[in-house]
Amino acid sequence: MSPLDDLGTFLVHAVVLEDEAASRYDELADTMEVHHNDEVAALFRQMAAYSRLHLNEATAHAAEHAGGLPDLKPWEFDWPGTESPESGQAESSHYLMTPHHALRLALAAEESAHAFYAGIASHARCEQVRKLAAEFSAEEAEHAEALKEWLTRYPKPSRAWDEDLDPPAAGD
Amino acid sequence: MNSEPQLQIQALAHKDYKSAYKPVWCAGCGDFGVLNALTKALAAMELPPEQVALIAGIGCSSRLPAYTRAYGFHGVHGRALPVATGLAVSRPELAVIATGGDGDGFSIGGNHFLHACRRNVNLTYLVMDNAVYGMTKGQASPTTEADWTGSKLAPQGTHQQPFQPLEMALAAGAPFIARAFSNAPNELAHIITEAIQFPGFAFVQVLSPCITFRPEQMHWKKRVHEGFVPTADRREAFMALMDDDGFSTGIVYRAPRECYRPDTAKAVTLAEIAAGFEVVS
Amino acid sequence: MTGWHVRNLGDAVLAHDVPVDVQRRFHNCSLALIGSGGAGVMTAGQILLDAATDAGYFGLMTRSTGPQIRGGEAAALVRLGVAPVACQDDRIDLLIALDWGKAERFADEIVLDADSLVIADPDEGEPPEWIIASDAKRFAVSLADLAREHRAARVNTIAVGLAAGLLGLDPESMSTTLRKLFESKGSRLVDGALAGLNAGMAAAAALPAPCRLAPAAPQPRWLLTGNEAVGMGALRGGVRFCAAYPITPSTEIQEWLAARLPQVGGCLVQAEDELASVNMCIGASFGGVPAMTATSGPGFSLMVEAIGLAVATEIPLLVVDVMRGGPSTGIPTKSEQADLGIAVYGTHGDAPHLVLAPNSIGDCLVTTQWAVFLAEALQCPAVVLSDQLMGQARAAITPPPDREWRAERRKAPAGRGNYQRFAETPDGVSPMAIPGTRGGEYTATGLTHMPSARPSAMVADHHRQLDKRRRKLFRFDFGAHWADIEGEGETGLLTWGSTTLAAREAVERVREEGLAVRLVSLRLLSPLDPVKISQALAGINRLLVVEQSHGAQFLRHLRAHCDLPARTQSLAEPGPLALKPGRIAAALRILSLEQAK
Repeated sequence: MSPLDDLGTFLVHAVVLEDEAASRYDELADTMEVHHNDEVAALFRQMAAYSRLHLNEATAHAAEHAGGLPDLKPWEFDWPGTESPESGQAESSHYLMTPHHALRLALAAEESAHAFYAGIASHARCEQVRKLAAEFSAEEAEHAEALKEWLTRYPKPSRAWDEDLDPPAAGD
Repeated sequence: MNSEPQLQIQALAHKDYKSAYKPVWCAGCGDFGVLNALTKALAAMELPPEQVALIAGIGCSSRLPAYTRAYGFHGVHGRALPVATGLAVSRPELAVIATGGDGDGFSIGGNHFLHACRRNVNLTYLVMDNAVYGMTKGQASPTTEADWTGSKLAPQGTHQQPFQPLEMALAAGAPFIARAFSNAPNELAHIITEAIQFPGFAFVQVLSPCITFRPEQMHWKKRVHEGFVPTADRREAFMALMDDDGFSTGIVYRAPRECYRPDTAKAVTLAEIAAGFEVVS
Repeated sequence: MTGWHVRNLGDAVLAHDVPVDVQRRFHNCSLALIGSGGAGVMTAGQILLDAATDAGYFGLMTRSTGPQIRGGEAAALVRLGVAPVACQDDRIDLLIALDWGKAERFADEIVLDADSLVIADPDEGEPPEWIIASDAKRFAVSLADLAREHRAARVNTIAVGLAAGLLGLDPESMSTTLRKLFESKGSRLVDGALAGLNAGMAAAAALPAPCRLAPAAPQPRWLLTGNEAVGMGALRGGVRFCAAYPITPSTEIQEWLAARLPQVGGCLVQAEDELASVNMCIGASFGGVPAMTATSGPGFSLMVEAIGLAVATEIPLLVVDVMRGGPSTGIPTKSEQADLGIAVYGTHGDAPHLVLAPNSIGDCLVTTQWAVFLAEALQCPAVVLSDQLMGQARAAITPPPDREWRAERRKAPAGRGNYQRFAETPDGVSPMAIPGTRGGEYTATGLTHMPSARPSAMVADHHRQLDKRRRKLFRFDFGAHWADIEGEGETGLLTWGSTTLAAREAVERVREEGLAVRLVSLRLLSPLDPVKISQALAGINRLLVVEQSHGAQFLRHLRAHCDLPARTQSLAEPGPLALKPGRIAAALRILSLEQAK
């Protein structure tokens, strides 16, 4: 079943999208904490919290959905690429990343989420799906605008933002 | 109080497979993707965590077991496969997964890799390949390109032909061979699931970039492409590997053959065995 | 030195309640068979041992060979007696040479004197100089001619007949044994063997017997090698997994277990090398299955890293080292006691673990069984030091007891999480969660760790784990099996492993001369208990420490941990030959003559 045709399928996509977003932000926050980049850690925690708000919304809709959600394996989801849109470019994180970088990362994630929902809103063949997708798309758009605004508060980092005078340490 | 019905969403169950420990991997490390993919695979198969054992050697990627809620073993450098073999042979009902890096697996562990391929014990081997020794600060590994000059130990390059894990696995008799990419965890989860469910030795090379010592590997995501189509024909698989650019993903070979089985015998008591020494005068 | 070695066996007082030390003085004979090029010397020796055992005797056979896989020079040394025979004698009563091919290889091992008898085929030429120089009585018997009289008779069965006739072995037992051995090869060979036997016995009638065995009173006995005994001990202890790599002289343990582990629901995996072997065992043991490997010195050297891993992860493990001549490739077919150092100290870091040593073929079973029990109870590696001398010797022995030691690991029950694998406990042993146990999930690691198993480099965690692992060993009550303490006297003899066998005989000899000696043979080599050792040596003012090690590893190990009497003498001789009772007795006499300080 496609998320375009079936509300249950759309909902499980939405739930997973938000959940993966939250997980990814939490993972990034954890890593930033481990590497003592507290400012960015706090930022990612906030992003995770926002994603959880969306997640709760999506979960609430899912709870109301009489048919229940289809049990899809991770590779059975119908994402634009192979991964869910908001999972973020984890590889573009760096232990010295600045809030500017973090917000850019989050913005890119929000924009792909927005594009995902917008795409479904315009092509959905099921009325309920179209309605909900449009709602979520609007929320993502709002969120993206908020991030753009935040970005103005954090200037582009200097050239030497990733300079660490200490050499790497060896572990095991 | 009227509580909300708890909504069990199977697709979210993978979080239950992660432990509370925060990985110490660098931000941007490919191994995060592997951890996510592995937990998704275990959740998709609904394997109880206590029935899963992750066996690792030494290296950044060998830290993975402790970040899951399964049983884990963090042994010495290069010896994950023997430990996994001993466990899998004597506890065949467990899901045994050996993990590690390219140095652990193909350098010091190279001999065990070859014999694991031919022995075909039912276990899965995930190698997170970043073509470098990250833990010890950036030396060349067996899969490093011959002309990489980034290591102080081989400042003019290794001058050695890189080890070809998939070809070696195929030559040595591995019946399930695949490659995946850490930053495509859903696909990787699929391949891991197939590997765990495969009856026999399943080898997956996971390209997993090292952001700290091989930052240029960030371009891998542009080069990785689905390319392998699983075949049970060994000659076809060899040909596919000959044509491979090193970045094809998918299962290249899947040809189940009889798993390693220990010898069986009719039950005999210890007293009967001891009686074999008795002198009857 | 004659006189003490009673050979004329008129009064055969062989009631079962005659003390063992008295029995040992009488009624044993030593013979050697040599030959080359496929002459069948080993088979001949085996036939003699089997037949004598069937007839009710105790006996021991050891072998010596050249480096060829087949067709090389070979010597079978057999000692038979009415009481348990634990070691080879200082000298040989009877030598039968099928030919003289490279016989000088055995010149050091086959000690002849004026009381010895040498029989050879005159067609094989003059005996070597060392035989002539020994003053042994030489007789010619045309073995080849005798063999030709029956188409299927072989020279080696003629030799068997000769030996049987000279020693006084019962012809009935001889025939029965030969029949059993050859029946699968067809009646022609059976007939040939019997013909050879009879021809040999007939020829023996014309010769003076250098030694005759008194009639035996059969008792329950087992016939086995030390290596087989190790296997049986492991099974009794509860081992159900073995991973191993062939290496002389341990391969027979692996082969014996390969057939029998499946019979008891276990299995053996032949690994690609010793690194794999020991790590496979760790994997199986991590999974809750008692596991062992068997190897020799060179293989053990490869295993020391893994032993440290088993210490750090507190995983039970049994490693049997059948010691051989070292260092490096050394002398694979000969024995030595020079792996004590690596067994105790070979792994890096402070890594206390168990090192045990059987001191007889029967004890190879009992001590291995004990080792399994201890490793499982203490959740640590146990190294069992056997050696080629015991491992590959075949003997008829008193059946070893089943001491009821069984693998009993303290396991963690299912829980609700927050499992502390390395929790502090009064005795230092923490309950171990076996994979499959819900709520017990943890990651075992060789990194220094917290009680939860989480890696930690903190001072308190490192110290705590070191203290715990040491405490669990040093506070354990090992009971009586830690050593054999025999006899009273101001002179003491301290030894371990296979040297105990010759030492025991030496002590008995000097006791008869009026020198009282206390013998202490250590089985528990690590951890050493200085208090117990002091108690065992109480009253001793002259101590002989005996070992088969050029570097006196045992003496140095003792001195590192214990106080020894002021007058302590070392008798430390390297291989390849075993220390003989006469040599040890001589050293005891010299020591006893010295003024006590």
